[in-house]
Amino acid sequence: MRFIDLQTQYLEYKTEIDAQINDVISNASFIMGSKIEELEDILANYVGIKHAIGCASGTDALLLALMTYDLQPDDEIITTPFTFIATSEVISFLKAKPVFVDIKEKSYNIDPKQIRNAITSKTKGIIAVDIFGQCANYDEINSVAQENNLFVIEDAAQSFGAEYKGKKACSLTDMTCTSFFPAKPLGCYGDGGMVFTNNDKKAEKLKSLRVHGKGSHKYDNIQIGVNARLDTIQAAVLLAKFPHYKKEIELRNQKASYYTERLNDCVITPHVCAHNLSVYAQYSIRAKNRDQLQEHLNTKGIPTAVHYPRPLHLQTAFSFLGYKKGAFPISEKVSNEIVSLPMHPFLTEKDQDKISEEIISFYS
Amino acid sequence: MIIPFVDLKTQYQNLKPEIDKAIEDVISKTMFIGGTYPEDFEKAYAEKYGVKHCISVGNGTDAIYIALKALNIGLGDEVITTSVSWIATSEAISQTGAKVVFVDIEQDSLLIDVSFIEKKITNKTKAILPVHLYGQPAKIDKIKELCDKHNLYLVEDCAQAHFAEFKRQRVGTFGDIGTFSFYPGKNLGAYGDAGGVITNNDELAKFMRMFSRHGSLVKHQHEIEGINSRMDAIQAAILSVKLPHILDWNKQRFDNACLYNKHLKDIKEISLPKIMADVSHIFHLYVIKTDRRDKLQKFLDEKGIQNGVHYPTGLPFLKAYDYLGHKEEDFPNAFNEPKKILSLPMSPELTEEQIIYVSNAIKEFFEK
Ligand SMILES: Cc1ncc(COP(=O)(O)O)c(C=O)c1O
Ligand SMILES: Cc1ncc(COP(=O)(O)O)c(C=O)c1O
Repeated sequence: MRFIDLQTQYLEYKTEIDAQINDVISNASFIMGSKIEELEDILANYVGIKHAIGCASGTDALLLALMTYDLQPDDEIITTPFTFIATSEVISFLKAKPVFVDIKEKSYNIDPKQIRNAITSKTKGIIAVDIFGQCANYDEINSVAQENNLFVIEDAAQSFGAEYKGKKACSLTDMTCTSFFPAKPLGCYGDGGMVFTNNDKKAEKLKSLRVHGKGSHKYDNIQIGVNARLDTIQAAVLLAKFPHYKKEIELRNQKASYYTERLNDCVITPHVCAHNLSVYAQYSIRAKNRDQLQEHLNTKGIPTAVHYPRPLHLQTAFSFLGYKKGAFPISEKVSNEIVSLPMHPFLTEKDQDKISEEIISFYS
Repeated sequence: MIIPFVDLKTQYQNLKPEIDKAIEDVISKTMFIGGTYPEDFEKAYAEKYGVKHCISVGNGTDAIYIALKALNIGLGDEVITTSVSWIATSEAISQTGAKVVFVDIEQDSLLIDVSFIEKKITNKTKAILPVHLYGQPAKIDKIKELCDKHNLYLVEDCAQAHFAEFKRQRVGTFGDIGTFSFYPGKNLGAYGDAGGVITNNDELAKFMRMFSRHGSLVKHQHEIEGINSRMDAIQAAILSVKLPHILDWNKQRFDNACLYNKHLKDIKEISLPKIMADVSHIFHLYVIKTDRRDKLQKFLDEKGIQNGVHYPTGLPFLKAYDYLGHKEEDFPNAFNEPKKILSLPMSPELTEEQIIYVSNAIKEFFEK
């Protein structure tokens, strides 16, 4: 049994994926080939945003998006501690300061009310994360931001294709970022990511920063940038996979419901708000004696993973911020209880039955 | 006839079965990030290069940035580098927060002019970052002496000089860290962005590995903050197929450069690439100089002969460095020489017939 079954997916779409990759190789157009733009157009259209800009990874997408705001040292950016490190890493990379606020107990997404309390005169923006594939509460987040003149970045690394009140993830804030890391719901075959925005100026700046701060041509460098391009081969893989993605989102939701029906009485199953459509980047439950449960499942050949075992404010890397244990009780509690079960569009009912039975038997 | 600048298509045709298999392997195992493919390449590269550690990273720009971060270079520090290179070199310095200090180039080799370096050393100088441009090693023994004398770090930008040698020692092994790009058009190139760093220092190696993987060697334990800069497994697998050929390819490039020299030597209006003493030049680029560069370039374009200018503007004179307020007189060679340079088609796959075609076109241009 696999945690994420990319093999089966490849075999399903093999003809298209192979043809796409061959196309890139036989044309030897490996860097910024035409497939990049083709993918950018398709995905921009899909999320309903004017500009889509391919990047080397989800982390670089966040970094480039944040770079367009010209942060100054000591500017504060409010974000969640219950996420992958990339979200806050890019803030301190640009010498700004991450300010954490706790999450909501049910959705595990950032709590808009707490954002309000954390705003200071130095606060410049907010990075919200759509954790496990479910969008954060953007109506509230955006209105706090507007009242206080802050920008908002949506870290949609886990939620590409998800919906919030009928609108697509990656379309919910000023700048939005996603990741095509292979294990993400829409994944490529290496590192990859994308930024979306309706802002022409920011899009132009971002495209320049992505390729060494270029101006009108390759060797006209007008600002200090980075090298953070999406590989053409990776765009090709995404072009082959994307036509199947809508169906995959449905399948992910079916698998999630199937789990929830079976597990609801015995663990805390994911709570997706009525106005949300999740893409279930993870199907994560909260369980008593999590470590023993994980051990039990492991001995039965069932792979699981913990996202995330330690909230960011307690990571050694962020010890310089001076947060103590207890600072964000919900994030800390969830980190101790959360565990993700196998989740992908090709999961069989047989496997889901086995997983569910093993969990139920562990608790009985 | 179209003469490609670099002939990646022919190279692929020559290696097709192996490359196809390498890609297929990675995909069928779905081991796209980390794992054996990058690890195997790192080991093979370090071994072939004759160093203790190679760490694969996202690209050659990140490689320099990561190397400088490993040496704890940042705000308030100065790093000395050359004034003719791809912007990546100086950009990576600025990314760390350190100040870029440019040094003019030698007029003949276009490499950093070592005689100017010492004057630029201040009490803030932390490192020297020479570039082995076009595949030709800079005067690295002299640079190393300066580093030792002033207690500075030495990072070599070897993006264009894989396995090139200075006094029979490979570039990238003289100082603390050597950085590489495996951009598709480089002497050793992947099929997308890729890079690497080499070092003999265990501590630096550990830091660079950790830093480029979000500051973590054990999943979800982040000891430091880092970045996401990894070589994709697909790229590592492709590079592993190509690596055994690199020395032959370097030699073929050198042979092709000799053929160009033979066919171009009688044209008075151009000067041929200058090969300096003590080096093995691997001819990443074959760069000639002429006062009528723009016209010649146009003429070659019309003939279907692909060409390039590496680089049209010296680094201090790019808009990105306006804020440093440099003047023409500060770097006269870096100001003037880029106006004359032209890179001709160059790859191991280039044939003598193609070289003659290019040479005849250049003759024709000057005889007009
Ligand atoms: C919430 C979140 N943000 C950012 C990232 C970074 O994406 P990538 O791994 O593509 O750099 C990830 C995924 O790893 C993520 O889950
Ligand atoms: C001298 C030099 N340094 C650094 C780089 C950066 O490498 P990359 O393009 O892989 O980021 C290059 C190549 O582009 C280069 O030629």
